Amino acid sequence: MRVSLTWLKELVDITLPVEQLCERLDMTGTKVEAVHTRGEALKGVVVGEVLTKEPHPDADSLSYCSVDVGAGEPLRIVCGATNFEAGDKVSVACVGATLPGGLTIKRAKLRGIVSEGMMCSAAELGVGTDASGLLVLPAEAPVGAPFAEYHGLADSVLELEVTPNRPDCLSMVGVAREVAAVTGATFRVSSSELHEHGPTASDQVSVRIEDASLCPRYTARVIRGITVGPSPAWLAERIVAAGGRPVNNVVDVTNYVMYELGQPLHAFDLATIAHKGRMATLTVRLARANERLRTLDGQDRNLAADSVVIADDSGPVALAGVMGGEATEVGDTTVDVLLESACFGTASIGRTSRRLGLISESSLRFERGVDPELAARASARAAALIAEVAGGQVAPGVVDAYPGQRPPLTVRLRSARANAMLGTSLTADEMAAFLRPLGVDVAPDGEDLRCRVPTFRPDLSREVDLVEEVARLYGLENIPSTRPGGRGRVGELTDVQRFRMKLGSVLRSSGLDEHVGYSFGDRADLDRMGWELAPDEVLVELVNPMSAEQAAMRWSLVPSLLRAVSHNQRRGVPEVHLYELGTVFITAEGRKQPKERLMAGGALTGSWTGRGWDEPGRPLDFFDGKGVLEAVFGALHVGGWSVRASEYPWLQAGRTGDIVVGGDVVGWIGEVSARSASAFEVAPHVVLFEISVPALHKAASRAQVTYAEIPRHPAYELDVAFVVDQTLTAERLGSGIRSAGGSLLESVRLFDVYRDPSEAPDDIRKLPPGKKSVAFALTYRSSERTLSDGDVRPAYEKMLRKVAGALGAEVRQ
Amino acid sequence: MAISEDLRFLEREALEAVLAADSLDSLDAVRVAYLGKKGSLTAVLRGLASLPPEVRPEAGRVSNEVRVRIETSLEQRRRALASVEHETRIAAEAVDVTLPGRARPIGRQHVLHQIVEEITGIFLGLGYRVADGPEVELDYYNFTALNHPPDHPARALQDTFYVRDLSGDEAEVEGESDVLLRTHTSPGQVHVMETQKPPIYVIVPGKVYRRDIADPSHLPQFTQVEGLVVDEGITFGDLKGTLEHFVRGMFGPDRRVRLRPHFFPFTEPSAEVDISCGICGGTGCRSCGGEGWLEILGCGMVDPNVFGHVGIDPERYSGFAFGMGAERIAALKYGVPDLRLFVEGDTRFLHQF
Ligand SMILES: [Zn+2]
Repeated sequence: MRVSLTWLKELVDITLPVEQLCERLDMTGTKVEAVHTRGEALKGVVVGEVLTKEPHPDADSLSYCSVDVGAGEPLRIVCGATNFEAGDKVSVACVGATLPGGLTIKRAKLRGIVSEGMMCSAAELGVGTDASGLLVLPAEAPVGAPFAEYHGLADSVLELEVTPNRPDCLSMVGVAREVAAVTGATFRVSSSELHEHGPTASDQVSVRIEDASLCPRYTARVIRGITVGPSPAWLAERIVAAGGRPVNNVVDVTNYVMYELGQPLHAFDLATIAHKGRMATLTVRLARANERLRTLDGQDRNLAADSVVIADDSGPVALAGVMGGEATEVGDTTVDVLLESACFGTASIGRTSRRLGLISESSLRFERGVDPELAARASARAAALIAEVAGGQVAPGVVDAYPGQRPPLTVRLRSARANAMLGTSLTADEMAAFLRPLGVDVAPDGEDLRCRVPTFRPDLSREVDLVEEVARLYGLENIPSTRPGGRGRVGELTDVQRFRMKLGSVLRSSGLDEHVGYSFGDRADLDRMGWELAPDEVLVELVNPMSAEQAAMRWSLVPSLLRAVSHNQRRGVPEVHLYELGTVFITAEGRKQPKERLMAGGALTGSWTGRGWDEPGRPLDFFDGKGVLEAVFGALHVGGWSVRASEYPWLQAGRTGDIVVGGDVVGWIGEVSARSASAFEVAPHVVLFEISVPALHKAASRAQVTYAEIPRHPAYELDVAFVVDQTLTAERLGSGIRSAGGSLLESVRLFDVYRDPSEAPDDIRKLPPGKKSVAFALTYRSSERTLSDGDVRPAYEKMLRKVAGALGAEVRQ
Repeated sequence: MAISEDLRFLEREALEAVLAADSLDSLDAVRVAYLGKKGSLTAVLRGLASLPPEVRPEAGRVSNEVRVRIETSLEQRRRALASVEHETRIAAEAVDVTLPGRARPIGRQHVLHQIVEEITGIFLGLGYRVADGPEVELDYYNFTALNHPPDHPARALQDTFYVRDLSGDEAEVEGESDVLLRTHTSPGQVHVMETQKPPIYVIVPGKVYRRDIADPSHLPQFTQVEGLVVDEGITFGDLKGTLEHFVRGMFGPDRRVRLRPHFFPFTEPSAEVDISCGICGGTGCRSCGGEGWLEILGCGMVDPNVFGHVGIDPERYSGFAFGMGAERIAALKYGVPDLRLFVEGDTRFLHQF
């Protein structure tokens, strides 16, 4: 809402400097978003006196003038206008001035004569619509005075943020009342005298409302014999100050009254409304199937079934509260006007204007809610002003259909309750004093107040609404700060929350940075990954996405992680180690809300720390990812887990495994497949993993941590290498050794795997074809004594025999 | 006394050899040459047995003295050489201590989650618990139960992401759906009030979604932290005091707080909360747009209509709620100029916090 300070000062006595007024408004809930100084645009435009006016020697249509602007030599100006004489006072834009239209005045040659400035029309100055000639000023205008100052344009315009609960503040009168209430100043309403003549309005117009919820009130007046033309300067300026554009005297009056009182009005050309005899009938109703209307902006619009229209006997003539129709528009030839001043239901106006993309000053006000009591008063005010600026006669009376009239509302405010809610100790009298300037009719009733709330404040319907008014007028800054007491309150995190924090911290100490990606997903990512949804799974899709890439919700963290990897790689950052703890979504036919699951995902590529000054920076691979898992499972005390060879389309075959805990697959790990790498535009060798956090949490909560004695006797250590089939997994061999190792075998640690290079010639082969060598460090220990060869050898030999028998593993010599 | 002569000659020769040794290895060679099993002095000592008995004691004494002197000399020389060799080794092992250390891969927590944890920590200290709720919400929890009228603009298709409802239910409003991406963490309030009896002291952090195109100051997804208190005798003053405590904990003890009345559908009275600008201290500068204040959160007393939806008696209980955006706080705290940096995963960004 744009509020001209000059206009505001006509309605309320303001003594505060602008800055303090803004501060006061801010602190009482009307945020001042900006203060514009009007007239600044007219810098360099001054009042001048035409000293001489001669015809231009080379152009009949131009004159050549000398103009006194109060400083230095008179300016020589070439001018095309004819509506002035020597001795007239005019407005002069000197060289360097910029006019509201963006024109900057320069010294220029016009038909061979240098012109040192420009004399302006009202339209050029943005103070009116008249462009036919110069704006000739009264004789007493002081030569040399800045035009903006002389013309009263040196005005501040406050840009107010009006919250949805305050429709009353979408009017000058409403703002003035608010300013009066928050500053203690006096507030007054301007009025104009209405003269009525001729046949009564109700003999010429009738109004029918089909549904009071769509239109609680509709009033119409008739004004005949008007002359449509430009508005007088005062009116045009008010429209400009309020942020509008002057159109013509009739339309400008309707807008003026809307800005002043908050009542949107519409003027129809009465002659274009269908008549039966002398009667024109308007109906407020829902649009019917296939109805169309060409609106003021020249667009043909199909009307939706829930749009409210004003219709005459031939069909819709206006979209109620949103925009008028082109055919019934007031134009230069209009003589008789039907003036609508109505109140429409908020819901349908909002829907209609949003659907059609037509947000107007009018629809904005109706959407917030217009006081139905205002309609008749605004209509009288507008009719009087139209008669004043456009001539014509106002027909006696107003046609008023008011099916939605409601009795005035009285709300009880308990002062004790208000104090209890605010933490204040105000008296009922003090509260009453805050409420009265807002237009609330307050009657004391013991410690309570019976408050009759004004119809222009629909937001005041409950006790708590009045408590809010008391709070903001008392000043939130005056309410003492306290903190809740409350007995026996404990702040603590749940088990799940603590687990999530711990998981994050373990992943970070394993070297991964946390990423927070979009939760959106792209259906095409299914294909990029080669991910197949289970038969009963359905992707979570948005009804109204903003882009194809964000048209669904993600079902995996992989796309988000790979996009981050790609983002880094494209910017020349090769070392990327990320984890994300985020929600994934999947739904099913028949479900309302999807399943949301928390996943932990990781992506590692490049090396851990890049090339150092004495180490090359080893490229990360599958086993670095698995090392992270080992660190995580270790720190979470999850035992009995393993990685089992597996296959997924987005991972490279042979370098992929399922993460298995206690027989359940809880996730997977692997290196990205060539296909997915190119689909997500990442360089190959990205290790990826994804684990279900709830499953991990379940496994971790089963873990029992108990103290194990620190060994007191030295260990007996022994290395052994086996030659086995290349297909035998390290895990099977290791567990074979462990289970055959006897009670003294404390640990089995794999420390080397050797394969002959596949293309190696026979003479350098160290192993039989299809075999590999796997070496283990065996640690034997007794808790009772130091072990000797004699203790260990028999168990060792027995293990070798068993492993050879079970797995065909031969000791490598 | 030929044997004595031999011994003295041997001694002189040995002492010279000791002095001539220039390394521990060559010194050891000298020791072996004289005192080893096959050494020359050892040979002389063995020869003592064959001497006539009358000279044997004297020869024995002299040869013992010679052996002691050679051993002493060897030891002195060994120490000297060891010391030299030690110093040589130390000198050779010296490094340029200004060379960089070997990097360790240590991950960082995302700055948004650092902020959320910091906020959470302050409220845990005030006795709050942490709650959460689904990100794909029902319209009822996101809007209706929070006192948004059916035609509230925030419900419009251009502001809120709606999710395809596969239940077969008809949407309340044509073209929309009863299922949506939550536009704030406030539905978490409703879930808590539905499932717990007062006293309630919770905060609800989480991701929220609005249909804004990503640009330096907007993201379609951001992170909110919501707070809710419901108890007997809760006042607006309690809300003020709580937020002042929070702001000082989060931004520093010298920051001031101001509450400006505002409007939210689910609280009344409502307010926006500003903190004094950390750069100019409140006098106005470029980073606060000349205002001296920075808006960081919205708050208010829980509207009785919200209590009505969850069956809490507003005559007995009162409460307050507040909500803030982690992105905005992080951007203010660290001067991050473009919110998109938060979701891109650029390692060079993540490592700054
Ligand atoms: Zn500042």
